Amino acid sequence: MTKLRSFRRHCLLPRTQFPASAESQKPRLKKAQEFPILEKQNWLIHLHYIRKDYEACKAVIKEQLQETQGLCEYAIYVQALIFRLEGNIQESLELFQTCAVLSPQCADNLKQVARSLFLLGKHKAAIEVYNEAAKLNQTDWEICHNLGVCYIYLKQFKKAQEQLHNALHLNRHDLTYIMLGKIHLLEGDLDKAIEIYKKAVEFSPENTELLTTLGLLYLQLGIYQKAFEHLGNALTYDPTNYKAILAAGSMMQTHGDFDVALTKYRVVACAVPESPPLWNNIGMCFFGKKKYVAAISCLKRANYLAPFDWKILYNLGLVHLTMQQYASAFHFLSAAINFQPKMGELYMLLAVALTNLEDPENAKRAYAEAIRLDKCNPLVNLNYAVLLYNQGEKQGALAQYQEMEKKVHLLQDSSSLEFDAEMVDMAQKLGAALQVGEALVWTKPVKDTKSKHRTTSTSKAASLQQPLGSNQALGQAMSSAAAYGKLPSGAGGTSHLTKPPSLPLEPQPTVEAHPNEASAQIREK
Amino acid sequence: MAAASSSDSDCGRAESAQLFPSSPSNEASSKWLDAHYDPVANIHTFSSCLALADLHGDGEYKLVVGDLGPGGQHPRLKVLKGPTVLTESPLPALPAAAATFLMEQHEPRTPALALASGPCVYVYKNLRPYFKFSLPQLPPNPLEQDLWNQAKEDRIDPLTLKEMLEGIREKAEVPLSVQSLRFLQLELREMEAFVSQHKSKSIKRQTVITTMTTLKKNLADEDAVSCLVLGTENKELLVLDPEAFIILAKMSLPSVPVFLDVSGQFDVEFRLAAACRNGNIYILRRDSKRPKYCIELSAQPVGLVRVHKVLVVGSTQDSLHGFTHKGKKLWTVQMPAAILTMNLLEQHSRGLQAVMAGLANGEVRIYRDKTLLNVIRTPDAVTSLCFGRYGREDNTLIMTTRGGGLIIKILKRTAVFVEGGGEAGPPPAQALKLNVPRKTRLYVDQTLREREAGTAMHRTFQTDLYLLRLRTARAYVQALESSLNPVSVTAREPLKLHAVDWRDSDGYGTRKKTVCFSNCGQPGG
Repeated sequence: MTKLRSFRRHCLLPRTQFPASAESQKPRLKKAQEFPILEKQNWLIHLHYIRKDYEACKAVIKEQLQETQGLCEYAIYVQALIFRLEGNIQESLELFQTCAVLSPQCADNLKQVARSLFLLGKHKAAIEVYNEAAKLNQTDWEICHNLGVCYIYLKQFKKAQEQLHNALHLNRHDLTYIMLGKIHLLEGDLDKAIEIYKKAVEFSPENTELLTTLGLLYLQLGIYQKAFEHLGNALTYDPTNYKAILAAGSMMQTHGDFDVALTKYRVVACAVPESPPLWNNIGMCFFGKKKYVAAISCLKRANYLAPFDWKILYNLGLVHLTMQQYASAFHFLSAAINFQPKMGELYMLLAVALTNLEDPENAKRAYAEAIRLDKCNPLVNLNYAVLLYNQGEKQGALAQYQEMEKKVHLLQDSSSLEFDAEMVDMAQKLGAALQVGEALVWTKPVKDTKSKHRTTSTSKAASLQQPLGSNQALGQAMSSAAAYGKLPSGAGGTSHLTKPPSLPLEPQPTVEAHPNEASAQIREK
Repeated sequence: MAAASSSDSDCGRAESAQLFPSSPSNEASSKWLDAHYDPVANIHTFSSCLALADLHGDGEYKLVVGDLGPGGQHPRLKVLKGPTVLTESPLPALPAAAATFLMEQHEPRTPALALASGPCVYVYKNLRPYFKFSLPQLPPNPLEQDLWNQAKEDRIDPLTLKEMLEGIREKAEVPLSVQSLRFLQLELREMEAFVSQHKSKSIKRQTVITTMTTLKKNLADEDAVSCLVLGTENKELLVLDPEAFIILAKMSLPSVPVFLDVSGQFDVEFRLAAACRNGNIYILRRDSKRPKYCIELSAQPVGLVRVHKVLVVGSTQDSLHGFTHKGKKLWTVQMPAAILTMNLLEQHSRGLQAVMAGLANGEVRIYRDKTLLNVIRTPDAVTSLCFGRYGREDNTLIMTTRGGGLIIKILKRTAVFVEGGGEAGPPPAQALKLNVPRKTRLYVDQTLREREAGTAMHRTFQTDLYLLRLRTARAYVQALESSLNPVSVTAREPLKLHAVDWRDSDGYGTRKKTVCFSNCGQPGG
């Protein structure tokens, strides 16, 4: 053991001598003649650091720096990393700069300097330092990646893409794909973004973030099959993924699987209890299940959490219309319009509310506005026509009816969108009342049969489109308004007539679910 | 484990001390027997410093602990037998790694103990110091050497020396020695003395060991002779001959190794994986002087374990990743908390290999590939782990905790790890009921009232609103006339709103009303 013991003395010397005064140090140094090894405890610092035991790490760093009189580069480096984690970015920057002075040839130090600059928001300076680092190490994906991110912040998307592609070329990382996808989203190029995310998922098939994002993108494009597939995969790997659950839940809602969706939402409600879209979706689930009071409670909570979200207000308006609380519906809808003045359907609902509040003049104005804004929804015209008819303005009603026909034809040609049976029924009745019935009847029944075929035979995507919940809502409206058959006469007829508009809303909850995470701009588009 | 099971009192004490790890009902279903728990064992170490071996050749396996001591102040070598410390001896410096290995073929085949610390490996046989291996000095920078030689002959003055040295530091491949670095830090007046004191010394560059493991020399048997593999601070890997302690092979890495994993035999073929400080894992083979494959983690590795042919890496992003030996990513599992340490669990009797990961939330999770086999909850976060034969018991799990505690558990002989032994199925949150806000009787009554008298309510509201506006306008005009109009602190808001309000009144009802809303709040404030 003697050998060992003598070694021990050696090692301890510098430590014990440190607090001693300078005079006593000098003569001893002569004897000792040994400088401590600078990197002696780097391994320990590193082990503490990766375990996130920062207190222990700092203690070792302090000791090491004292012993080496501040020459131990790695100790300074880790100290700077810890500072940065603690939010002291300026201090970390200074320490990294010290490291860069201690070993100027090391690209890593420059990278960290640049990183701290980046965190301080000095993107241009960061780019300069990264370029400097790139000169020292040309095969580092991280430098390219971070340069790309800096360029994103400077809005130089071309350069950013170039750098990110370079990074991918050097070494593929999920993060680079995500950033590249983000650029395309920022540029509004959904297809390219999907392309990128597809590649990313191929490369890393278990990354739930990638899977969820791709699923949401497909959802926005209306490719429901693929969206559901990816969201489902994400949930397999991480059954508590908040975004994926919300998106998948909203798709289930469109299918009418309200109970399944509600079960899924429980997980989210536990993890993120203050999420407005979550409570909105839960509310619409209850609405689908005809539990209107629960629906209103949940929607009101959502509205409390996000008072400026027009979609929640829209849904609140819709539910109150269904509940025949027209005065409340009016307030929610007008608030929604305040936040989103560009949406025809909102005006249409408002008009419905106004009609029921016996204010046909304003209802007409609202319809006119709805028609101005919404060029493709035949419901608007149908409802307007009904109102006009009830007011005895047959000419106007006929004009609106014809307008509706045009839109129906257009829709029929362009997409596989199905029309709700309720609406078709109403349109036929109105047609008969206006005595244009015979000519028109052919359009709808044909369409109707067609649509029925489709739902049964074709892909899920088509059937997804059919809003099941709305049917139920309609049913409720029907039952409450008894005088269904008597179209032409009285306000009672209008009230139920006008309710069919709740149909188009149904798809709403679906859209609702994602905007929050998939960013609202897509909706805007 | 003979020691623990023979002394019943000991067991009793242990059990009474641990109310927490598993409740009695759990005890029966648990796969583990609690053999020993001492919360104040005063053991502070890393998994790399734990080793199990039959040190005396008596068939009784001991636990070797390279203990860093509390706060890393009093490093000790401890040997435990059962729950008691058999021997304890101070160490000259902090131990970086401990390993047991067979040095030669002679009988009795008792393994030697190697302890890496600083620049040396201390080898013990029969727990007696046997050999000390020191890393060879690194070659100094020839230019630097040259300068100091000149200084020695007083052909160069300190100032020029400093300039020249600084020049070397700027661009040299080989870093400067500590002596030169110290010199560069000095003030002008101190230089002379420093030079005269140190000029006669030859300059030295010494590195330290960061990690160590063993590699079978030429046979794959359990009790075959093994070489030591060292990772050093100057980014090298060294393989030592077990008898002569000469360096058999030297490989260089792009960064400093932190964790090593070796498989194969040195003389035949071996594969070496080294997790490094730059967050990459390099894979080398027998004939490669440089890494053959590289895995980029984009986070720091916190552990490296090979299970059959899969490299399992824990990262600071709280996840486990599986890679092939060629560096292809196989899977990722997310952990609920930060990983502190990892080690291999090998149950020979059932041919099971799995990964154990100690987490910051006080769990030890056992995974085979990506399936969770078992979760052990411990009273304190486990910071080092080791599984193997201890005493006379084959499957013993030894854990030390953050607070210095020691936990020993024995795997029941009947225990079989099956998939889904951990958690499976839907997340527990899914079973919780949704917290839907309740509505009062009053609310329902109000709803009914609104249904009955919605129109009247709406009209009253509108009338009041107009009145309010009128009064507001009057008050405003009056204020203007009598020059009492309030001066807004924020300059624009209140006045502008009034104006907007009045101009807007020619719009249709909708917009008028919504604006009114905002108005209602504003005049007061």
